[in-house]
Amino acid sequence: MDQGEVLPVLIRKLDEGTITRRQFMKAASLLGVAGAASAFLAACGVSTTPAPTVGPGASPSPVGSTPTAGAAEPTGSVRFLVAETFWADWHPYQTSAQIAYRIEQNIFDRLVEAETDDPAQVSPGLATSWNRLDDRTWEFKLREGVKFHEGQEFTAEDVKASIELASGATPVKTALAGYMVPTTAEVVDKLTVRVKSSAPFSPLLGLLAWYGVSILAKADIDAGEEKIKKAPNGTGPFRLAKDEKDRKTMEAFTDHWRGAPKIKELIWEFIQDPQTRLSALLAGQATVIDRVPPEHLLLLGGSPDISLVSKTGMENVNLFMNPNPEAPWVDKNFRKAVAWSFDRDALVKDLILGSSQVATAFIPGLARFHVEGDPHYTQDISKAKEYLAQSKYPDGGPEFELWAATGFQPRAKEVVEVIADGLRKVGMKPKVVLSDVAALIDKIFIHEGQPYRMFHLSWSSNGDPDTAERFLYKTPGVWSDRDTKVDDLIDKGAATTDDQERAKLYRELQQYQWDQVLHVPLYQPDFTIAHSKRLTGLRVQPTFATYFYSASLAS
Amino acid sequence: MMLLVVFGVVTVTFFVLRFASGDPARLLEPPGTPESTLQIVRQRLGTDKPILEQYVTYLAGLTQADLGTAFRGGGSVLPSLLRALPNTLALGVVTMIVASIGGLLLGVAAALRPNTLLDRAVLLLATVGQSTPNFWLGVILVLVFSIQLRLLPAIDLRGPESFVLPVATLALTLSPLIVRSVRQVFVEALGEDFVRAARARGISEQRVLFVHVLKVAAIPLVTLIGLETGFVLGGAYVVESIFNWPGIGSLTLQSIQGRDFPMIQGAVLVTATIIVLVNFVVDIVYAVLDPRIRY
Repeated sequence: MDQGEVLPVLIRKLDEGTITRRQFMKAASLLGVAGAASAFLAACGVSTTPAPTVGPGASPSPVGSTPTAGAAEPTGSVRFLVAETFWADWHPYQTSAQIAYRIEQNIFDRLVEAETDDPAQVSPGLATSWNRLDDRTWEFKLREGVKFHEGQEFTAEDVKASIELASGATPVKTALAGYMVPTTAEVVDKLTVRVKSSAPFSPLLGLLAWYGVSILAKADIDAGEEKIKKAPNGTGPFRLAKDEKDRKTMEAFTDHWRGAPKIKELIWEFIQDPQTRLSALLAGQATVIDRVPPEHLLLLGGSPDISLVSKTGMENVNLFMNPNPEAPWVDKNFRKAVAWSFDRDALVKDLILGSSQVATAFIPGLARFHVEGDPHYTQDISKAKEYLAQSKYPDGGPEFELWAATGFQPRAKEVVEVIADGLRKVGMKPKVVLSDVAALIDKIFIHEGQPYRMFHLSWSSNGDPDTAERFLYKTPGVWSDRDTKVDDLIDKGAATTDDQERAKLYRELQQYQWDQVLHVPLYQPDFTIAHSKRLTGLRVQPTFATYFYSASLAS
Repeated sequence: MMLLVVFGVVTVTFFVLRFASGDPARLLEPPGTPESTLQIVRQRLGTDKPILEQYVTYLAGLTQADLGTAFRGGGSVLPSLLRALPNTLALGVVTMIVASIGGLLLGVAAALRPNTLLDRAVLLLATVGQSTPNFWLGVILVLVFSIQLRLLPAIDLRGPESFVLPVATLALTLSPLIVRSVRQVFVEALGEDFVRAARARGISEQRVLFVHVLKVAAIPLVTLIGLETGFVLGGAYVVESIFNWPGIGSLTLQSIQGRDFPMIQGAVLVTATIIVLVNFVVDIVYAVLDPRIRY
């Protein structure tokens, strides 16, 4: 008997007077505080929004998931100026753009939620409890009384349609499917669904929460892609009120299952220039700004009206080497020479600042099963020259381009100039090329007949190492070296259900990648949000997800 | 001739965009999207066709006032441009008025007392203004008047008060050239016989300056103002970005990042047309000011 079945029995017994309230609380508390409290209130006849109950493997429900029905009416308008241009449409499964993921977190809900910085923890979301039935199958009990913004009732059918579409189990190809294995779902009843992956896939639960598999309405999925792309219809705490090219205005969804958010209007607006964002915040014309660059941190740190929230990003900024079979870095010794030619610690300490940290593995720190690589690559010119001498290119090899995009990652230009300087000291021939993001993205995917290229580039990850590894390094991933050992370890890591075994596999994978140094992980970037002190309760995660549900604005 | 210039600008913009890096399809789709899917997107956008064919299609659309469909969002380009255009025009016109009046007054003041302290001060001011980059000046003005003094909005177009800082930013970097030109023309004109004759006839100094001398100075001034229209529109790209001004400049910069070709082409077309039209008006004004000029 799981908790979903125990609680009603306890409530019935309390109503019948066969147990006392003390006995009820004692028994119910074994199931989790939130569930017990909610059940007790329900038993006492107090009406609340259904509270999350906690399933096996789930963490205790944090504050953010506690229902607040009956709270004061939403008030105030929050203007959030963001550095990344909005995605072209609203299809949550057809983009991996960070900005799309971040805004969706406020419009949609997920079966399970990531509400702490610990990637091993997930909390109840649209699912109140869950069980792993075997290595491929999960059963989710769903929350009752949830509504979509357009009024549809949320049921297991929505979960089935969403998971199958997102995971690539339907003929429709999705971007999200690259991070999952095809997964089908069986509707057991209106509020119970069994999710079955085509292969054992341990990251599933973490992926649902940390990658943020938004749950769509089945009716919208049936209506076709154009409907989903046109406007978001989620169950989340905010709904889209006005959709402009560079400005998305949301309003509080007062029927949200957790209760209405405290903020009435939430505006996300793209303003690329960090100085303009800063000016707006300091002049009181914006409430929140993101991607505060290092040079502004010192300025804002002393402001009495501004709060800073800094996170170390759960992603690596890397010195990627274009997997061109003709490039000099096909030679491992050449790659090692690159890795020993510049000082990554100095980049972090003197240029990137904030909460940035030196990358220590191909799986970013903070992600599950992260293990620090050995040795710690830093600038050692004589060692770099030794490796270069052992390579096929003792003279430094042919000229190659070192690309960086300005205007997004802070101080990218300075970082690549420092790297290029180190490479030149070793005898290599880098040529720094600065571009905008669009031109750089174009070059990543074109190899044939092109100059050899390295890129200063970040790639998002999330709590499970599979996300960091599968899309990038497993054949035919973007940076894959067609290395069967890497492919094998990635597959085994995803398929293994035992955490200790997974840890062992990922340790081996990380150490192997660190030694191969297919590219050079540089640092985990700083992600700083600055906001007016009038705003409280804002939640920012290492994935840069920015949740406004729990936030409130003082008048 | 005007049409030829606009045609030339449109053509150059079209081809430069196609030859520059940045495939719009890749920017619309997630990283790692298979080439086959990208090809479908390119077909939808029309970028899969030979460049010359795209060009002919684009020109055919222009003949029917169809500027195309934006790659991002899918809406028609024209309404977006028409929404942004009045804001840029308002900024430009107010800037030109402020810069012209300010430049005229300072230039005349300096010309009336050549080689005095006032003249030196005005010339120094002009030199400083001319060598001050507008992206720096805009930020400083915001720091002082919006953040420290809280007198004016830092960004956005909210009402008349929103014009003050962007206009000041543009005008302060624009007027030095007018100041110098006005001073030069007035210094030369004030030494002419017709000025001495006018003064000898007892005509008031104000009338001498602003009727007789100004008429002589008008032609070079009108030329200068015509030329500076291009500078205002170019400067607006920077200033609109600093002040989050919802004009053509902001729209273009954002479109460049997304390689939204139709939107960029539309914005350049509109800007080029405005500059050409202003120069046309300047030519007509020449003829009005000096009947000897005939075309």
